[in-house]
Amino acid sequence: MDILHHIFYGLSVALQPLNLLFCFIGVLIGTLVGVLPGLGPVAAISLLLPATFRASPVASIIMLSGIYYGAMYGGSTTSILVNIPGEAASVVTCFDGYQMARKGRAGPALGIAAFGSFIAGTLGVVGLAFMAPPLAAMALKFGPPEYFSLMVLGLTVLTFLAGGSMLKSLMMACFGVVVGNVGLDLMTARPRFTFGWDILLDGVGLVPVVMGLFGISEVFLNVEEKLSGREIFKTAFKGLLPNLRDWKESIWPIIRGSGLGFFLGILPGGGAVISSFVSYGVEKKLSKHPEEFGKGAIAGVAGPESANNAATAGAFIPLLTLGLPSNAVMAILLGALMIYNMPPGPRLITSHPDLFWGVISSMYIGNLMLLVLNLPLIGLWVKILKVPYPVLFPLILLFCLIGAYSLNNNPAEVGLMLIFGILGYLMKKFKYDGAPLVLAMVLGPLMDNSLRQSLLMSGGSGMIFFTRPICLVILGAVALILLFPALPLVSRVRKRVGESEGN
Amino acid sequence: MRNTDQSSSLFWLVVAIGIVLLSMRYGVGTLHEPGPGFITFFAGAILIVLSLALFFSNFRDRADRSSLWSLWAGLETGKILYVILLLVAYIFLLKPVGFLISTFLLLVLLFRVKGSYRLKTVLLMSLLVTAGSYLVFEIWLKAQLPKGIFEGII
Repeated sequence: MDILHHIFYGLSVALQPLNLLFCFIGVLIGTLVGVLPGLGPVAAISLLLPATFRASPVASIIMLSGIYYGAMYGGSTTSILVNIPGEAASVVTCFDGYQMARKGRAGPALGIAAFGSFIAGTLGVVGLAFMAPPLAAMALKFGPPEYFSLMVLGLTVLTFLAGGSMLKSLMMACFGVVVGNVGLDLMTARPRFTFGWDILLDGVGLVPVVMGLFGISEVFLNVEEKLSGREIFKTAFKGLLPNLRDWKESIWPIIRGSGLGFFLGILPGGGAVISSFVSYGVEKKLSKHPEEFGKGAIAGVAGPESANNAATAGAFIPLLTLGLPSNAVMAILLGALMIYNMPPGPRLITSHPDLFWGVISSMYIGNLMLLVLNLPLIGLWVKILKVPYPVLFPLILLFCLIGAYSLNNNPAEVGLMLIFGILGYLMKKFKYDGAPLVLAMVLGPLMDNSLRQSLLMSGGSGMIFFTRPICLVILGAVALILLFPALPLVSRVRKRVGESEGN
Repeated sequence: MRNTDQSSSLFWLVVAIGIVLLSMRYGVGTLHEPGPGFITFFAGAILIVLSLALFFSNFRDRADRSSLWSLWAGLETGKILYVILLLVAYIFLLKPVGFLISTFLLLVLLFRVKGSYRLKTVLLMSLLVTAGSYLVFEIWLKAQLPKGIFEGII
């Protein structure tokens, strides 16, 4: 078994003491930011990115990935205990998790969320190990036109899935492409859109943009809210372990959620968020007691929690095999890999097997750590939730300030972050989604490059995108997706998801 | 009376026109020889079309009549402006004054934005956080934070 051999090799990398330590730090920080509302995995990863530059690339990516799936665990804790989702993928968990807590069953709810996440995370990692190598082999045949079409497809799928107005998401994608192309043009060495600002010559940094759009803007929104006391459920945690009946009701939702989450996670754009909503809907449909949903059905916690964790594993597939990120977190990891001089893509698996298999295996170990870590530490997370916001937000701001400054010891980066913070705040006010902007910004230079190369190949004919079969199929899919929302049924479903996300 | 989507679409229209004009100055080139402004020109052009579409689709859809200012009704927006002002001051003071003093001052002011703690508590919290973050980022992670007026002393 080739795969087994690879996985054992990966485990030997992941079990090295330093990598184990980084994995542990990653999942711990991940759970912490998952617990804290107003600080999500995107902001946390971009914050810690500069700090990892001195560590080995494998250890850094192991830690950054740990933050990502750790946050999915942490988010569920706050959903269940205080009805505040720590991050967007845990919104659904509030519906039934909080109701279970109110009935004195917070323990089993937290327990099944942790076990479900563990099982889903594990299944997701196995899926990743099996699916990535053949996909990468296929991707080796892709040329610039295929890559360009794939990126257009990625952005289109993202804007379709993002929820809310597709028109606005497309607008953000266009703007993102422009932001991504700020700086010196590689072919002519002419500065573009720099307005005489020196730091823009190298392009707009991903870290200040992401911290501004997702970190600072969130702080601004909270600062203008009039404070209301958060109610934390006073409930004794007797027995976190779900009983046999709970397991019977949850096991199939967990397995179905894992499958759904994994495949939806591969698609670009909010995989974890969408899959948790879809899983909830599916379980409600399949349940023998749909009327219990929303009143504390354990299947309504088990399914979505599994789905959002499996989605994090699925999201790694396009990044590690095609070099194309599917969400904002993956975009930052792409940036990190570029900095380590390990550009992700079909060759990554063969050229840096320690990174690929090591990171995958570490995710397995990380899931185990999360299970062990989360069950006894829930009391501590609840205490952290009690940190009042007037104290919390200056700390979040300070971390962002230091993170942006230490990128290259330049206060101008902090200024850039502040500008994107204000933009992000206004975008949230006017209901524009930040994810397409970030993704298009990362893909922007790659698109520019592959488009120009394609046109060079064809001698200036745009027909190259329609004469190559793979391109044709991909662009056909783009056209379908763009026309799809016009169907009345689809637009109704999208509107519902958008509304519940908004709440 | 314009609704919120129409106001924001006008903003993006202006941005998009700016992008297109600048791209033309950088040189759009031809399909044979795409110039530095090629892809941004098309991104800007599509953005123009999309913002116009957003503007006009809101004439048809009369459900949303919320005006621009309703977004800020009943909120303490002044506090955001105050926080932004503090952050701008911090950016300009960071290098000349140094991390320790400017961070301490920033925290003292920020802790009082939403909370009503006693001055002693605020000073103590700010001191602890400044010292803690200095330890973690400067000593442990070696982030080379600016020393400012302490240059040569620490």
